[in-house]
Amino acid sequence: MGRYIARRLIYLLVVLFVVSAITFGLMHAVPGGPFDREKALPPEILENLNKRYHLDEPLLVQYGRYMYDVFIPRITSVPPKGSVDDDFLITVKLGNVWFKWMNFGPTYSSRSRTVNDIFRQQLPVSAQLGIMALLVAIIIGMPLGILAALKQNTIFDYLGMSVAIFGVSVPVIILGPLMIWIFGVTLKWFPPTGWGAKPPFVLGIFPRDLSPEFFRYAIMPSVALGLGSSAIIARLTRASLLQTMREDYIRTARAKGLRESLVIVRHALKNSLIPVVTILGPLFAALVTGTFVTEVTFGIPGMGRYFVTSITNRDYPVIMGTILLYAVILVIANLIVDIVYAYLDPRIRYD
Amino acid sequence: MRTKFFLLISVLVLASLVLGACQPAAATPETIIQTVVVEGTPKEVVVTATPAPAAAGPKVLRLNMGPGDIPTLDPSLATDTSSTQIIEETSVGLTRQNEETAEVLPGMAESWDVVNNEDGTQTITFHLVSNIPWVRWNGKEVEQVKDCNGNPRYVTAYDFEYGILRTLNPKTASDYAYVLAFAIKGAADYNGGKTEDPTTVAVKAIDEKTLEITFTEQAVYNVNIAGMWVAHAEPKWLIEGDDCTEARGDKWTETGFFQGYGPYTLKEWVHDSYITLVKNPFWPGLPSVPVAKIDEVTWTMLDEVPAFAEYEAGNLDVAAVPLADMDRVKADPELSKQLAIGPVLCTYYYGFNTKAKFVDDARVRRALSMAIDRQSLIDNVLKGGQEPAQWFSRPGLTGAPTLDKYPDLGVKFDPEKAKAELQSYLDEKGLKVSDLDITLMFNTSSGHQKIAEAIQQMWKEYLGLDVKLANQEWKVYLKTIRDPQATPQIWRLGWCQDYPDANNFLREVPTKGGSANPAEGGGFNWENPKYEELVVQAARETDPQKRVDLYAQAEQILVYEDAVMIPIYWYTRVTVTKPYVQRTFSVLGGLEHIEKWDITQ
Repeated sequence: MGRYIARRLIYLLVVLFVVSAITFGLMHAVPGGPFDREKALPPEILENLNKRYHLDEPLLVQYGRYMYDVFIPRITSVPPKGSVDDDFLITVKLGNVWFKWMNFGPTYSSRSRTVNDIFRQQLPVSAQLGIMALLVAIIIGMPLGILAALKQNTIFDYLGMSVAIFGVSVPVIILGPLMIWIFGVTLKWFPPTGWGAKPPFVLGIFPRDLSPEFFRYAIMPSVALGLGSSAIIARLTRASLLQTMREDYIRTARAKGLRESLVIVRHALKNSLIPVVTILGPLFAALVTGTFVTEVTFGIPGMGRYFVTSITNRDYPVIMGTILLYAVILVIANLIVDIVYAYLDPRIRYD
Repeated sequence: MRTKFFLLISVLVLASLVLGACQPAAATPETIIQTVVVEGTPKEVVVTATPAPAAAGPKVLRLNMGPGDIPTLDPSLATDTSSTQIIEETSVGLTRQNEETAEVLPGMAESWDVVNNEDGTQTITFHLVSNIPWVRWNGKEVEQVKDCNGNPRYVTAYDFEYGILRTLNPKTASDYAYVLAFAIKGAADYNGGKTEDPTTVAVKAIDEKTLEITFTEQAVYNVNIAGMWVAHAEPKWLIEGDDCTEARGDKWTETGFFQGYGPYTLKEWVHDSYITLVKNPFWPGLPSVPVAKIDEVTWTMLDEVPAFAEYEAGNLDVAAVPLADMDRVKADPELSKQLAIGPVLCTYYYGFNTKAKFVDDARVRRALSMAIDRQSLIDNVLKGGQEPAQWFSRPGLTGAPTLDKYPDLGVKFDPEKAKAELQSYLDEKGLKVSDLDITLMFNTSSGHQKIAEAIQQMWKEYLGLDVKLANQEWKVYLKTIRDPQATPQIWRLGWCQDYPDANNFLREVPTKGGSANPAEGGGFNWENPKYEELVVQAARETDPQKRVDLYAQAEQILVYEDAVMIPIYWYTRVTVTKPYVQRTFSVLGGLEHIEKWDITQ
């Protein structure tokens, strides 16, 4: 297993290299640049801006510079300057030298910030929301799916699946404002918008203070975001469990005289989880890196916005940074899914 | 195998416990108190709506900035109204616009002497107000910034000189440096990299109280430009460091580092979330910038719709009204009283590529312009109380014609005349209406789409003309409309003031080489020597009435005789304000002067 994980991590490097090259090529191929504005800038100003961000260099040089800044660690005796060009995600002081690694560059649209600042300040917020939404999705989705499968073609099944259809078909853009209106403005149970934690974060991700106030802010967006995914999980669980129940080994288990509850929990449920776990990987990556609509609707200072605005603004370092981050999280989430497979189904072997 | 499975189940159970834990937690005594308080607020608000916080606590104002982070608080780098809103509260320019009249008043310069030089340049000597200290928020309170000897630092002419030269330094890469580069003698060469010597720029601090700037033109708006944010004083010791201050470089505007000298100063900036300014107790008050009455101002960064929900929940004091809520707000007895529609110095327009087929004839352009029922568009599509635009330079700008003095200037909805103009063109060319193949292009957005569809319908109805609509993603679109070949026949843009003078509209946009008329082709593709002469003449004219007259003549060419653009509407701002907020309404594109606001009972 150890060797398998090591191999997968090496693949990750290859994936990142390919993703970065494709993204870099595509974003420069799209017409329009970061400094094309409604009020056109005079050529001299444009030249200064391009020089400032090294956009006047040949594309290959720019790409090389970017990859060098991101991937190659440095050891230097010069302390960090506090400039947006000298901001490394990992900066450690070792005696009288500095170890610096991963400089994702400045953002063009926020002139005192870097892509690393977005990772430090916005990503944790998105991750907190994403993890809670995923928990909501699992806690609502799985029991609903199991219930619907076990009571197939009864009122439970129809009710459960109606809820699932509702969850899939009512997007956050409708559900969000509705929830804000009912629970935020009218009943005043929860604050209509905002987030209950702000940087700096513990271990780069957790809020400093897990107070009830934090959850008061988190409940509405987590439910709104999680509900759609819970519907997917419910339908998948139901379908998968129904199929598993028809397997030969279930009949065998029953023939052995095993109690029905044991048959379901020990034999059916576990095997039926494989497809569900499969989608949890990408779902995790998608939820944790931020969701534009939910964050805008609930006024959450997360990272979802940057996936969209970086592209419309042609904010090249942010485009690269967000895409690479997404790739890393997706690959790692899928790796964890693969490891979980081995536990769920002993027939799956990786060595 | 069994254990492994139970491991997974227990993880899930654990997860549900963690989430479940939130609910029991919400039932602990301390939370109940909170909930009670929160649930109590609506009732309290109703009671306290008249007797507000009063003298008890600090006066706190809660506003909304709009979605997305503020791009920068660095005066040299700011380009947008979110940034300049904060900058104008945390520092003050040499001159300062009155936000209600757009008039230019003394700011940090209490007076100035103007000398017209023989070479056509103009030297203005600004006399600064003394004893205005630099301040910072130290985490607990606002304190004066001290120099290395422990003496307070006061704002001097040297700080202004530094600020202006830093904006112009090509390494700063400031977008708006071009405004100064264009206006100040020697600035273009320095900013364009032709010389690396900043002393060639005609900005000189004579002593701590006197700043001398030589402008390339003898124009009345020179004092406006001197008051712009790109020409504010900046703290050199903080940006570049000195013996007792660590250099903060690009990050000098962040929470904890920031230093300023306005009626407010920065307390906290949580990116993408909110920004809080706190009253500067060391601000002595100037005639145009009084001492602030409100102690703390917070701007959240919410989209319009959630911001309006927060307003209705009582958590914001001012909010913009989303289009969808407009009719409800107008009908609501409470909200309609809090509603205010005010002018914003921006114009929405369609431009013609005057070299493109069919629209290369002024008659066709005029016909298209006159066939737009702007009032109907505003009443049925826009609904924000916008004003039908008869010309380009929005009334309210210095030098711009006004509707009461020039009621018939420019272009108005006139379907009969429009039809006649088009017919005369068709007859001359021997064409039918159906032969005309015209495309209107705009950048992809549901708002622009709705406007374009309404106008397409009007052209069909009043001229019998079928115009095709096309749209492109914003950045692609900007490339297209500035491309000599690809520029469509009709395109859309808007323009908002950088400084409140008609020059900013009429000279900087449609003249050859202007923002919407690139020298190398594209945009309007238009050049009219008479127009160019008029706007230069107007810039130099010192008699205000004659100036307006010159601009009116220029407008007549721009929107009627040559009809190179279709002015569609003049912007307005639709906001609701809680009754306990005493405020002014800015016409400066949303730039509010909060120091004049108050919260009353």
